[in-house]
Amino acid sequence: MKVLATYNIKGGVGKTATAVNLAHVAAAHGNRVLVWDLDPQGAATFYFRVKPKVKGGGKAIVRGSLELGDAIKATDFDNLDLVPADFSYRHLDLWLDDAKKPLVRIRRALRQVSDEYDYVFLDCPPSISLTSESVFRAADALLVPTIPTTLSLRTYEQLDRFVEENPDMVRELKILGFFSMVDRHKRLHRRFMNELRTAHPEMLDATIPNSTDIERMGVHREPVGAYGKGSKPARAYEALWSEIQTRL
Amino acid sequence: MSKVRRYEVTAAGDFASVLAVLTDHLGLRLLSLDEGERSWLDTPTGTLERAETTLEFRRPTGDGTPSLTWASAGRVLVFDPCVSSTPPSSAADLPDASAFARLATLVDGGELVLGPTVNSQIAVLAYLDDEEKTTARVVFDRSETLDGAALPMMLEVLPLRGYEDEAAALEKSLKRSVALSVSPTSMKERALEGVRGERGASSGKDCAALVPTMSAARAWRAVFQTLTDSMTQSFSGVLSGNDPEDLHAFRVAVRRIRTILQDGDDVVDPESRDRFRHEYRWLGDVTTPTRDADVHLIEFPELAATLPPSRREDLASFNDVLLRHRADCHAAMVAELRSIRRAEFGTAWLAFLADDDAWTGCADLADEPVLRIVLRRIEKAHRQLVKNGRKISKKSPAIAMHELRKEGKRLRYLLECFALLFDEKALSVILHPLRDLQDVLGEFQDTEVQANALLELAGELVAADDHSALMAIGGVIEQLGVRGADARSSFSKTFGRFDDRKVQRAFDQLEPRKKKR
Repeated sequence: MKVLATYNIKGGVGKTATAVNLAHVAAAHGNRVLVWDLDPQGAATFYFRVKPKVKGGGKAIVRGSLELGDAIKATDFDNLDLVPADFSYRHLDLWLDDAKKPLVRIRRALRQVSDEYDYVFLDCPPSISLTSESVFRAADALLVPTIPTTLSLRTYEQLDRFVEENPDMVRELKILGFFSMVDRHKRLHRRFMNELRTAHPEMLDATIPNSTDIERMGVHREPVGAYGKGSKPARAYEALWSEIQTRL
Repeated sequence: MSKVRRYEVTAAGDFASVLAVLTDHLGLRLLSLDEGERSWLDTPTGTLERAETTLEFRRPTGDGTPSLTWASAGRVLVFDPCVSSTPPSSAADLPDASAFARLATLVDGGELVLGPTVNSQIAVLAYLDDEEKTTARVVFDRSETLDGAALPMMLEVLPLRGYEDEAAALEKSLKRSVALSVSPTSMKERALEGVRGERGASSGKDCAALVPTMSAARAWRAVFQTLTDSMTQSFSGVLSGNDPEDLHAFRVAVRRIRTILQDGDDVVDPESRDRFRHEYRWLGDVTTPTRDADVHLIEFPELAATLPPSRREDLASFNDVLLRHRADCHAAMVAELRSIRRAEFGTAWLAFLADDDAWTGCADLADEPVLRIVLRRIEKAHRQLVKNGRKISKKSPAIAMHELRKEGKRLRYLLECFALLFDEKALSVILHPLRDLQDVLGEFQDTEVQANALLELAGELVAADDHSALMAIGGVIEQLGVRGADARSSFSKTFGRFDDRKVQRAFDQLEPRKKKR
């Protein structure tokens, strides 16, 4: 089982869209996939039409009194399940802080379902906190959507530095950055993309376009591949998934 | 993983009318409606069946693209359109997609053989909650063999993980709206049965739809279901008593269930097995006097015909004795069959058959492939029959013959109830001499039982001082003695035909050889 976390310190960069769409693509390829929504906004939960209610609460999962498997809900898509989030996840940091060995809590919970899934996507809240550190310890790779703008580039470099400075915490963690919400008509986007690729040649080639098709996920409450099969963004997520697999 | 609930649609009406009930009345959303030919594939050793998965090749009617679907417990693991219009014959022929890598690993480079093929109409429907989220899927399936023989319409409820309560609510609504009966067999198994229809028919109506790789518990359950259907069909006839054949069919089903329960050691839940064996024994016992009385009445004219014409008229009064005796027996039997004990036992038995949990991991060998278990039990029953049959001599007591008859019945029922698992030719080579042997042993026992019963009933004639009738009865009993002696003298020859090398070889060949189509 590979654990992939969609992560960025900054919000509104397309983390949830990435988790939901890549999970959908991976499942359509016959992989057994789980999405764990760790964000109290519960956007991934909303996209899959699952009610934002966790039996026993996320706290019970973190503390180990509720098996992760008991909180899993099947989505409408074959091979694709979800651990929903509710608003109580805003206390995730506090729960972890109260627990013994907080950094391994998420990893331990995931170990319970390691035989059931090929890939787990952790949809993380935007922050750098105890939750993030716990996610770093659990994940095999961080998928970092990055908008080609000054602030996004800055946060990408903050993350890069954090990883370099904390080798014990992140261990074998791979950082897989890629450009998200790209508007190729904008000269500024093109310029920042060139600059960042030069500074970080390890960034993935695949890019996700800025598209109303992706925004419509909120209307359809489905992954983009479900209602816009063959559309440009759907193909972009396919290409991204294909490239991620070569890097894992 | 959530379990699939399978039902046979027993409602009157065609596919379209039942589908309309599902969509219009129950509000299920139609996700897809496919029509065309479909075949099931597996490795020659049934690897996919053992892994509790199915691989279906579908060729839609019209210009649609063929597809391959690999599924487990109702969940599609992989679906892919096929480039080729013919089913894959090996792992190398699987679609060139990473998705099939796991399937290819399971097949392990081996060949894929074609199982049953049917023409199907399949509707997939979703049961939605107030967020329009699917909480359960329903697969409604109408299939027929390529020869046009219709298979029972099937309906599967597939609960989605985390939504088991919603699926249970859906099942309740379905049962209220559509006539359904729990089906222990899948459409694949039904299709196999349909394709083997001719063979199934020749094996008798109590032959269940089975495949060699299904789990022993599932197979036992399917056999019980088939036998219970037989029993249920004849029950009202047993109560009315108009046709002795109803009681005969009822008793055969009861005896078969008892035998299969007896041989369900380590396959059926031990506590349930003990309880139902005890109850079925009781059920058999309460029907025996009426069946014996039926046999007296059926055979009496033939027996009377062996007497000189002048003596036959003397038997008229005894015929009245037999009729009264039969009426008394039938009344007593009906009272037992309408008793609270029978009702509670019948309800418990049906609940036991319908309860999926009672058949999952219920005994040590429950999950073993049925063919292996049945062959082992047949081998044991055969060995015992041969061993004890060889011991029978002219001096052996009647009880030894009776015991041998029971052992023969056990073997015969195992062979007949699980007939679809076996090589047809080998089965035929065994059953022919075995049935002959059973006839001889049956004749010996029946004549003895009948003679004793007639002697007892003749007591009424003594009380009535009907000496001429008594003399005639004496002649009938003498005839029964002659028939019994004939049966006994022919035992050795008949048993020899069964205890034969050719039959022994057939036992070794019962396991069907895999054929590639």
